[in-house]
Amino acid sequence: MMTPLLFVGGFLLAALVQLYLPCWPIFGGIKPPVLLSLVLYHALKGSPKTTIWAVAFAVLLQDGLDLNRFGPALLGFPTVALLAHRIQSRIFVDLLLTQMIFGALSAFVAMSVAIVVYTLTGQRPFSFSQNMLRLIGSLVLGMGTFPALMWFSNCVTTVRINKRRRRWL
Amino acid sequence: MFRNKKIIYGAVVAILLIVTFVVPPSFSSRGKHLVCDGVAPMERTASSLGQRISGAGMALRGFGGLAERNRDLSLELVRVQTKLSQLRDIEADNARLRRAFEFREATPHYMIPCNVISRNISGWWHSVRIGKGLTEGIRKNHAVISPDGLVGKTKEVSQHTSEVLLVCDPACKISAKIKRGNIFGLLHGAGTDLRGRPIARLDFIDKDLEIKKGDEVVTSGLTNDDGVSPKGVHIGYVIKAEKDASGLYQYAEVAPSATVSLLDYVFVVTRKNREVKP
Repeated sequence: MMTPLLFVGGFLLAALVQLYLPCWPIFGGIKPPVLLSLVLYHALKGSPKTTIWAVAFAVLLQDGLDLNRFGPALLGFPTVALLAHRIQSRIFVDLLLTQMIFGALSAFVAMSVAIVVYTLTGQRPFSFSQNMLRLIGSLVLGMGTFPALMWFSNCVTTVRINKRRRRWL
Repeated sequence: MFRNKKIIYGAVVAILLIVTFVVPPSFSSRGKHLVCDGVAPMERTASSLGQRISGAGMALRGFGGLAERNRDLSLELVRVQTKLSQLRDIEADNARLRRAFEFREATPHYMIPCNVISRNISGWWHSVRIGKGLTEGIRKNHAVISPDGLVGKTKEVSQHTSEVLLVCDPACKISAKIKRGNIFGLLHGAGTDLRGRPIARLDFIDKDLEIKKGDEVVTSGLTNDDGVSPKGVHIGYVIKAEKDASGLYQYAEVAPSATVSLLDYVFVVTRKNREVKP
């Protein structure tokens, strides 16, 4: 069971990590999708209520801290969360391959939505080559970020369980 | 029950689409400023922690106190460079004054030293966030400089933070000129190359004027009403010059000299008659 403090703290930490991570021009200059991975984590492991809160927090941080107006994350994150939550019971999330596939696909979906929003609103100039780089980059970065986040969350869970066990003993 | 769920989903999708495509940016900017100001203390803590770690690393290597001295020297260097460029302009103006009657004294500029507290969160924009905002006298469209030259300009300013759009961002447009021959043009960002080096483009240059590779590009000092941009601040050097697709103008690709990394400090140029300690 996740406490509200851990829940909010997790999102703030994820935002901070994403802010300080470097971006690589080879991937179209985009950052590893840490906040999106956290949304995906809650969508695949949490209840509908938790997922909604997770989407709300992530959208607020991602779009709120960016220069664009609310939109790319506002549409992209709920789409990913909705799709992931629907198949939650049908997949085994703890398998590394599943995590890699879901991380890559979710980042790809969110990036596609962001490209559409940026192009339609005219906030960023459309460049086919740059956007292709971003889409490929999102696949690679998502594939790496989500398993890393799952590993980290497993570590946190193990520490908390051990702490509770020690208290009982 | 099933129908109710469909209606709720439809309403939520409609609201999200309206917020994304219909609501004007000014409507959401207040909310964004709240988020920025809310996260700023955490960013500042992380930034100062990073500075302390880097300072401790330097102290271990025998460079203790170097960071502070470097910061002071950078501020001094920027002051001297600005003064020098102002003096050069004054010299040129004096020559012109001999032939003219009217002379308007240039508005003095002041610099506010700021720490870079974070980068852009998504990577879609070439921007950094600095730890000072409206409270310290920073406004939108103020030039941001470093000892290496022009960094960019302020885009979004909240109470305690400001988002600086870097020179290489396509949305950053600055009036600039090529120093040799006073050739004016409009500079805008062109992103980065695959090695991550920033590129900018100087557009609308008279097609008959001669531009050479290596020519220095500086700010022209022209801004809109609310903007502040000092004259003669170094931006970078011309790396390529070509004819525009229309054939009416030529453009020059410029390599900006100032690059900003995390834990760096920059100076916001403002009209306000005060300087704030970093």
